[in-house]
Amino acid sequence: MTDLNQNTDFLYPFIEGTEHDPDSLLLDLASSARGKAEVSARLQQASLEEYEDRLRAAGAEMADRFARGGRLYTFGNGGSSTDAATLASLFCRPVRGRAVPAWSLAADQAVVTALGNDVGFELIFSRQVIAHSRPVDMAIALSTSGNSEDLIRALTEARRRGLLTIGFAGHEGGAMSTSDDVDYCFTVHSQSIHRIQESHARLGYRLWSVVQEETQRRTTALLAAGRSDPGGNR
Amino acid sequence: MTMTQEPAALIGKDLSDDLAAASLALARKFHAGATLWVVSPQWEPHAHHVAVEFVHPVIMGKRALPSVALVDPDPVAQARVATRPGDVIIAVASAADPRVVDLMRRAPAWGAQTIWIGFGARPAAGSADHVLWVESDDPMVPATGRFVLMYHLLWELTHVCFEHPGLLTMADDGGRDCTDEVCVTCSDEGRLGEVVMAPESEVSPALVRTATGEEAVDVTLVGPVEPGDLLLVHAGAALTRLDDVTGAAS
Repeated sequence: MTDLNQNTDFLYPFIEGTEHDPDSLLLDLASSARGKAEVSARLQQASLEEYEDRLRAAGAEMADRFARGGRLYTFGNGGSSTDAATLASLFCRPVRGRAVPAWSLAADQAVVTALGNDVGFELIFSRQVIAHSRPVDMAIALSTSGNSEDLIRALTEARRRGLLTIGFAGHEGGAMSTSDDVDYCFTVHSQSIHRIQESHARLGYRLWSVVQEETQRRTTALLAAGRSDPGGNR
Repeated sequence: MTMTQEPAALIGKDLSDDLAAASLALARKFHAGATLWVVSPQWEPHAHHVAVEFVHPVIMGKRALPSVALVDPDPVAQARVATRPGDVIIAVASAADPRVVDLMRRAPAWGAQTIWIGFGARPAAGSADHVLWVESDDPMVPATGRFVLMYHLLWELTHVCFEHPGLLTMADDGGRDCTDEVCVTCSDEGRLGEVVMAPESEVSPALVRTATGEEAVDVTLVGPVEPGDLLLVHAGAALTRLDDVTGAAS
């Protein structure tokens, strides 16, 4: 008969404190990194393919609005607020291409804390939309749940004021995906907040690329018209 | 746009090994009480994203860990005063960013380990304890989610390490490659020190900060020194001064 008290640690090599050789852990970690990266890459590719037509349509509308003097506001909470800031920087300080006015509504801590303290956290972005926006402007919200109340309120306010409204969502899309106040909603179908954010970045980059292409097309046409009409004064 | 091709690998074999090593080292430092400082002078939102990732985990039940984005115009000055021995500094920056190059070479004098995330040309060997590099020269890399994936994985793997308590308490000698005969991290020839206060007279010592704290150091061998100068210190004396631009021994 076997000893019931025999050491069974070998069945659970990772759950106790006597583990001393990191090599197998390092192998597992490296393998896990590659696996997660592959999941991310596939999700990004699938999201790009699913939304290519909608990204082109949204990008064309944005290029038209930028050409008419429109400004872009981006916003999100937590990590998504930083991704919103990266997206705004891509538009207003691109390494290549034309810069257009854009900024993150989470960037100013004085404004965010003033609104959060005085009128409530759910209004930190919508109050800024009221203050800044004109109908020609654009709003992009990033939320991995699609349900963040402060974002939904801001998108509703933006839509009411005639802005183009774009949402990046995740999971099943949440309120963002069913709201009439969102012109374009790009839901990344994943349950992982990390993988969703990575795809948001890739989709946002694609959207920016479309805006750049459309802007370039307009510029080329404008210059061609100028050449055929040397007396024209633009 | 090509839509049919298989997505290229975002994390290759070598990078996955680097991520694994960096994650275990970071977990060990957190376990010992480290704060994680984050700088990204060119792409500030990435610094904030790393910090919020560790402070407020997206997965319920994971530990909140101390991490702070340093976004002052002078990241070296900010990190110098913030960092305590045993801390970790992450930079998300190109290898050419002079502020980050300077920060990385000073970190050993503050007793801090370093992780450098970037793309394009790699930093010189030995520039940081852990280099997590995107092998692409595309200048748009910082806006495509590649860095986000990188620090997401760093966070995920670090938390996996916390499930292995037996591996968290082992000594970690850092990951800097030794390419010079005089290796500041290996301490064969000396420890890196940063001058805090110049000597009051020609015969008095300078106050120098090293990985183990502040100490009086005889600087007669290296001549006049100014606050911020980097020295190699051995047995209470400065052996040589490090060149300000390249970090090489003069």
